[in-house]
Parts: sequence; C-alpha cells; structure tokens
Amino acid sequence: MESSDEETTEKQRIHLRSATLCDAAPAIVHLLPCEVLVNGPAPVERFFTPAIRQRPSGLEVSFRGRILRGEEVAVPPGVAGYVMVMNEKAEVLAELERRHKRRGLEHEEEAQARSEPLERDFDRCIGATASFDHFHLWGLETIPGPDAKVRGALTWPNLAAAIHAQVPED
Amino acid sequence: MDLSELEEDNTGRCRLSSPVPAVCLKEPCALGVDEAGRGPVLGPMVYAICYCPLSRLAELKALKVADSKTLSESERDRLFAKMEKDRDFVGWALDVLSPNLISTSMLGRVKYNLNSLSHDTAVGLVQHALDQGVNVTQVFVDTVGLPEKYQDRLQQRFPGIEVTVKAKADALYPVVSAASICAKVARDKAVKDWQFVEKLPDLDANYGSGYPNDPKTKAWLKKHVEPVFGFPQFVRFSWRTAQSILEKEAEGVIWEDSSAEDQEGLGRITSYFLSESPRRHTPHRYFQERGLESASTL
Repeated sequence: MESSDEETTEKQRIHLRSATLCDAAPAIVHLLPCEVLVNGPAPVERFFTPAIRQRPSGLEVSFRGRILRGEEVAVPPGVAGYVMVMNEKAEVLAELERRHKRRGLEHEEEAQARSEPLERDFDRCIGATASFDHFHLWGLETIPGPDAKVRGALTWPNLAAAIHAQVPED
Repeated sequence: MDLSELEEDNTGRCRLSSPVPAVCLKEPCALGVDEAGRGPVLGPMVYAICYCPLSRLAELKALKVADSKTLSESERDRLFAKMEKDRDFVGWALDVLSPNLISTSMLGRVKYNLNSLSHDTAVGLVQHALDQGVNVTQVFVDTVGLPEKYQDRLQQRFPGIEVTVKAKADALYPVVSAASICAKVARDKAVKDWQFVEKLPDLDANYGSGYPNDPKTKAWLKKHVEPVFGFPQFVRFSWRTAQSILEKEAEGVIWEDSSAEDQEGLGRITSYFLSESPRRHTPHRYFQERGLESASTL
C-alpha cells in the first residue's frame, strides 16, 4: 500500500506559484486544539469571530460547546505565514488563461507557466490565498502558554538553518 | 425586569437583584429558591431566590402566588409586577446561566454536571442574600435530585439557617412560588429577547418550547446545524438531542484530550502473538515534542 503511494509521490510535482506570495492579503487565522474532519470553507466570521471575548485572563471563545482560551502568537522573524491552497495543474492553467484573456496582458509568470516543459497536466500547483504575521492559538480550557507545541515548532526553522549552515574554517 | 446586562454579554452568567427592602435587614426572613429552564435544549437556565419577612408571608400568599408552571405567561407577568410593587417587603435575586455556560461546564475536561451547577448556583444566591444583609432564617428549596442529600449539603453550608428541601416546594411555600415566578419570567424574557452571538441572516425564531421532545424545537435544531461550528450558542451542546443531531449532520471533531485509545482503537488480541512488523522510524524527541513530522506528500 505504502509503496504505491510513494510511486505516485515521485511522479507528481508540486509547483509553487511564487507570485501569489507577494499579493496574499493579510488574514486572521486560528489554531484550534482539535481536528475538524473536513477540509473546506467555514463561516468563521459569522460563528467564531463574534463569539470571542476579552476576559481578564485572556481571550475566550467556545467551539462545539467546549471552552477555548487563547492568545495571539507572533510568527517569529525569519518565518512567514501563508494560507496555501493546492490546485490541480489543469485548473490553474485554465484560470490563467481566463485571466489572460480578460486583461489582454501576458505576465511573465503566465508565459513561463505555459512554456515550462517540466510541468504536466497532472502536476499540482500550490499558491497562497492569504498571509499572516500572527495567529490566534487556542487551548482547550487553558491558555496554551509558552510550552505550546507550535511555539516550539516555530523555533525549528532557525535552528535548522543554523545547523545546516557552513561552519567557517578557522 | 431589566435584562440589558445579559443582552450585552450572554456567553457567561449574569446576576440581577432587586433592592433589599429595609425590613428584610432587621426581621427574620424566609427565602425560597427555584429554577426555570432546566430541561430545554435551548436558552438559559435561570435560578431565582425570593425572600420576605416571616411576619408578612401571609401578605405574599395573599398575592396568590402559585407554582409558576400552573400559571399562564400573562399571569406570571402580572404577579411579578405585583411583587415589584410590594418591594417594601419582598426582595428577589436571580442568576441567568447562559446555554454556553451550561455547555462548557458539562463538556469540560472535568465534567461539571447540571446538578452540581444547580446546587452551586443556589448556594451562591443564598450567600448573595446574606452578603446583602438579608436576615435569612429559613430557606425553602424545590428539589433537584434527591432531597435528603441536597438538604444535608445546604444545611452544612448554612448551619445557622433552617433548610427545607422538598419536591413540589414551589407549590407548597409562597416564597418558593414567588421565586419560581421570578425565574420563569426572567427565562421567558431572556429567550424572547435573546441576542444571538452569531451573525445569522436567515434565523428562524420559530423554535417552539425549547424542550427536546417538541417537534418544532427538533426541526429548528436540524435546520440550524452548521457543519463545522455545530449550533449557535443559544443551543446547549451538552444535551443528548443536540449531540445526536451533530453526530449525524455535522462534521466530526477530534479533540486533543480524547484519549489515544479512543482514537486508534485497541489492537487486536492476536497482534500480541505476531512478530512485530518493522517499526516505523520514530523521529527524534525534539521533533515529537514540537509536533513536527517530515512531510513526504502534500
């Protein structure tokens, strides 16, 4: 089972649409202490955001009848926050085509995207739909605090950079 | 009854009280405790106390207060207005427990059941009257759970006061009847003027009585399920009716405190006799502690 998965992984390429990183609008994102078993849009602005309360102890909200306490976490320097969406290559090409026709312009990126020989129809593209430099971190009943896993995770990129950097020869 | 404080923030609890009549500070008083809206799956639960000097209980009785359940809404409103007029010897206080507070208490890591929540609220209200200087000598409570146990608990908590916990106390003692009217009037008003926290453009106000067995209430719940967020906070998520609708009509949610056993299921018994399959490479503790995994697919 696993090996067949790997095979498809090897065949598939994912292309980052780098232009989307520049014009991704800032968004408010929330990290919840639970997993919702679906991927898709949710009416956060109607159900969640208006229910957030500022209490003396910090932020408070409830989700599915359970209390969450939260705080704002800044994305550390050297790391950038993006909301990424994956598209099938074919979809992206069609979208680019439409945009191109509408504007009557040919962007460098678009020209590149069509002439790029390495890209095939079943390749996928990943692009940013939003960016963030801080996010709301929610804990179940208690504020996640300095020991939160995600805070630790965010220290990894800088550590990784340090340990992989060339050691200067003395 | 002015519930504007509740309307401002109805995600927690809210206490309202009448001014304390001067006579209640001096003369020994009887105090009744009752609740409204314990059963419904929608809206807040209201706990109320009502107190009056022993010497004037007959006057309270003369108002023809009765168990709020036997009165129509307009009769309750009328009686509450009368008690407001008699504010020189009748005082009241109430706690509105929002459906959000009920849900989050009952669904907490440490379960706080409705009986404990009720008992603690009742105790809090009696204490509130004492703190305000009301000379309480007798407390009458309509039963929640077993009367004996509840009575012992309350008696221990308030040793100087004569406590009576009884089923149907709301029909037997005028102070309890009066408290039940306060509670019911507040609950009805809170439900009627409920300010939904959520922005719901096509909200249907036709939710019936709010009791789980009311077909209108059930239909309303089914209509207002949101696949990710479940229900508006007006709904008590901890009620079985709400939970079973969520199980069927909303997306699954796995909380970080649901035990690993629940999530993975127990291994088959035969697995203990088989030679171990080659273990997957476990990452270094550094990565485990930070919830980091290497991604081979996106």
